[in-house]
Amino acid sequence: MKNFIIMADGTCDLDKKVAAEYDVKIVPGHLVFPDKGDIPAFFDWEKVSRDQFYADLKKDPEGYSTSPANVEEFALAFEPYAAAGDDVLVMTISSGISGAFNFAGRAAEQVMKKYPQSKIEVVDSLRFGPGFGLMAIYASELRASGKTMEEVKAWLEENKNRFHQAGWLDDLSFVAKKGRLTHAKAFFGTLAGVKPIGEFDYNGLTTVLGKVKGAKKAYSVLLSYIEETIEDPGSQMIVIAQTNRLPQAEEYKKLLEEKFHPKKVVIRDVYPSCGINVGPGLMAAYYVGKPISQDLSVERAIIEKHAE
Amino acid sequence: MANRRINGRHLEKMLKNGLRNLVLHKEEVNRLNVFPVADGDTGTNMALTLRHGLSSAPSRNEVGAYLKPVSEGMLMGARGNSGVILSQLFKGMFTELSRCGWIGPGELRNALIRAYKTAYAAVVYPVEGTILTVAREGIEHIRAQIDRNTTIEAILSMYTAEMRKSLAFTPELLPALKEAGVIDSGAYGYILIFEGMLDQLYGKEHVVKKENEADAAPETAAASDTSLFNENSAFEEGYCTEFILQLMRSSEYDQHFDLKKFTSDLSLYGNSLVVAADGSRVKVHIHTKKPGRVIAAAQEYGEFVTFKLENMQLQHNEVLKTADENKKPLGIIAAVNGDGIAKTFSELGCDKIVVCGETMNASAEDFVKALSGINAKRVVILPNDKNVIMAAEQAARITGAENVTVLPSRSPAEGYYALAMDLPDSDDVERRVKLMNEGLQSTATLTESVAVRDFEHGDLKCRAGEEIVMLNGAPAASSTDWCDCIITALSQIPGIEDADSCVIFRGKDVSEEKEAILIQRISEVYPCLEATPIDGGQSVYHFIVGVSV
Repeated sequence: MKNFIIMADGTCDLDKKVAAEYDVKIVPGHLVFPDKGDIPAFFDWEKVSRDQFYADLKKDPEGYSTSPANVEEFALAFEPYAAAGDDVLVMTISSGISGAFNFAGRAAEQVMKKYPQSKIEVVDSLRFGPGFGLMAIYASELRASGKTMEEVKAWLEENKNRFHQAGWLDDLSFVAKKGRLTHAKAFFGTLAGVKPIGEFDYNGLTTVLGKVKGAKKAYSVLLSYIEETIEDPGSQMIVIAQTNRLPQAEEYKKLLEEKFHPKKVVIRDVYPSCGINVGPGLMAAYYVGKPISQDLSVERAIIEKHAE
Repeated sequence: MANRRINGRHLEKMLKNGLRNLVLHKEEVNRLNVFPVADGDTGTNMALTLRHGLSSAPSRNEVGAYLKPVSEGMLMGARGNSGVILSQLFKGMFTELSRCGWIGPGELRNALIRAYKTAYAAVVYPVEGTILTVAREGIEHIRAQIDRNTTIEAILSMYTAEMRKSLAFTPELLPALKEAGVIDSGAYGYILIFEGMLDQLYGKEHVVKKENEADAAPETAAASDTSLFNENSAFEEGYCTEFILQLMRSSEYDQHFDLKKFTSDLSLYGNSLVVAADGSRVKVHIHTKKPGRVIAAAQEYGEFVTFKLENMQLQHNEVLKTADENKKPLGIIAAVNGDGIAKTFSELGCDKIVVCGETMNASAEDFVKALSGINAKRVVILPNDKNVIMAAEQAARITGAENVTVLPSRSPAEGYYALAMDLPDSDDVERRVKLMNEGLQSTATLTESVAVRDFEHGDLKCRAGEEIVMLNGAPAASSTDWCDCIITALSQIPGIEDADSCVIFRGKDVSEEKEAILIQRISEVYPCLEATPIDGGQSVYHFIVGVSV
């Protein structure tokens, strides 16, 4: 059976260690920092600490931006593998958010023209950030279990809508500003103690399903929500991503372990390529569950039921 | 002179004298405000309400014809709880007198009865020991003594005397008054109006110095959105041109002014033409695309006394815009005091902000204006002050719109949490309204300010000049140290130990250092309570703290 390469753009937010563990090749993309200009995306806290980065970001959100790898960069990333005769499965950030899916597709055409023997498949993850990262890990595990590239691709296309996000976004101003929130009708700042509960919509945009007053209530609503949407928690790894809400993430982890006994729960950081777009207030769990409804009505009803 | 009948012109003079009497005693009424916070504005609100009614009514002989605009004007201009109740009292009188040419003893008796009944009906939870009690007892205790020979003077003398007696008893009915050692301010204001009316009949006219008159409500002109007319706009509507022309004697001007000729000349330049001459002045109204020609024609004969020119395309486009735009599913109106709070509310998704002055409450009319400027299928009003709730409810009644809901937020903190809980993304409007209501229900509000006079409430004693903190409108703590005072009041909030967030609005002249001290203290005493500071800029209250419980 022919081996293949799994590649993902930087918005999957896997750090070096995790990317190496699951052998996922990262196409980093770009960041703009106010003092440094355009720099390659990074996935560690060597140059700037997490707390420092989020503090700076909060002060000057307009000074930061992100952009995906361009066609040329995707092509450069594909070429060595194509030249060596390896097939590549590349996963990109949701096409509803960024142009990366198209860029990668065009790059794949270019490279396949040059190396007619090579095969490059592009999958629109319909997710971004930690949800996308979790999907890349699933792809890697499927590959390890002996699935072919075509089988993995088919599984992803079939199941990508089952990747959930259940958590809160304390600071909606970032999502609203950077366009990661569905048609945000009003500008939101931090809402003293009120926790907007966010889930991916069909296109991978974070949507506010409901609001809950206070962290305690928010945990209980989230756990009930996960209970109704998760499938087979015992065999899953649940990822908790947090921007700089580590104590809350640890509390959340404890609660998830007690309630669902998943295979494991890991807490991951959100690095700048996602952090710039979600801001400092993200604390959410990512897992695989029931397919998400087209208009989120099912999911909204669940939150409404438990928020009473 | 004994009157057994009064007509509309008498009544107008009496009411104006009543207003002047109230204005003269306004400060006294303001100081009677129950709680020792410098927001005492009952007298001001009542005077503004009555003035709004009187200024919108032309002199008429028939009582009913005169009172109609008075009553309507008061309903529109009602400010504060006392103003709203006053307007309801007058609405009752008008309802009774609407078909009367004059008032005799029987009519007056019935009007005063109808007045209090209407006011009671308008208040959801009538409280005894207030203006309601006084207006009721004033007439109920004397109605049996009125027959067709009783003079108007005698009725009003008995009425005001009975009300004075009833007023003296208000502290017995309302514990809050007794503790504060005052009588009810709204009731006192009402009596002052009737005493002024009676004085008029006895020939005693009150005179108000200019400075007292000066505090009339500032008119907020509804500014047109001038962006609706730009370089690409069509210009079809022309200008609405209005002026008064003074015909001049100097030989520079044509001395042969002929109204007919002038009118027919102007008719060439536009339409909707109205020309009226009054002595040597001519009033002109015309819609024209070429106002220059109209001006030139007029200046042949004289000069302008007043002149008004409006681009009607702008108005037209405004109408079109309103009609064109899809209605929002839910519009939100909030009354606020303080620039920072106004900004926060706008950012949180408020469509219209009704700005309240230092102690001046928003009037029903302010809300009616805001409502007319909002293009939404459903509207929520956040009054953000317990004294504004009734004005907002009155506005909802006046506009007769069933789609207006007043969410009774008693403080900006409650309003803040209502907006924070809103889901602007959701299409389920009823759910949004419900969530907003839940947001304000579960909020406790502390307000910190300086007591303006000595005060006693239960075990709480406080001297003028000391810091006082109210919890949901009731005095909770007082001390010479403002910060201690807030912490003490915080401890009285049920469930404070489990609360994990609060919002702090910093007042107009309060330093950021003080705010930092407060946040530090709160975090020491309640480590789990996370504070979100907002530069509120409100007057009166140094700090407004909203705790979500």
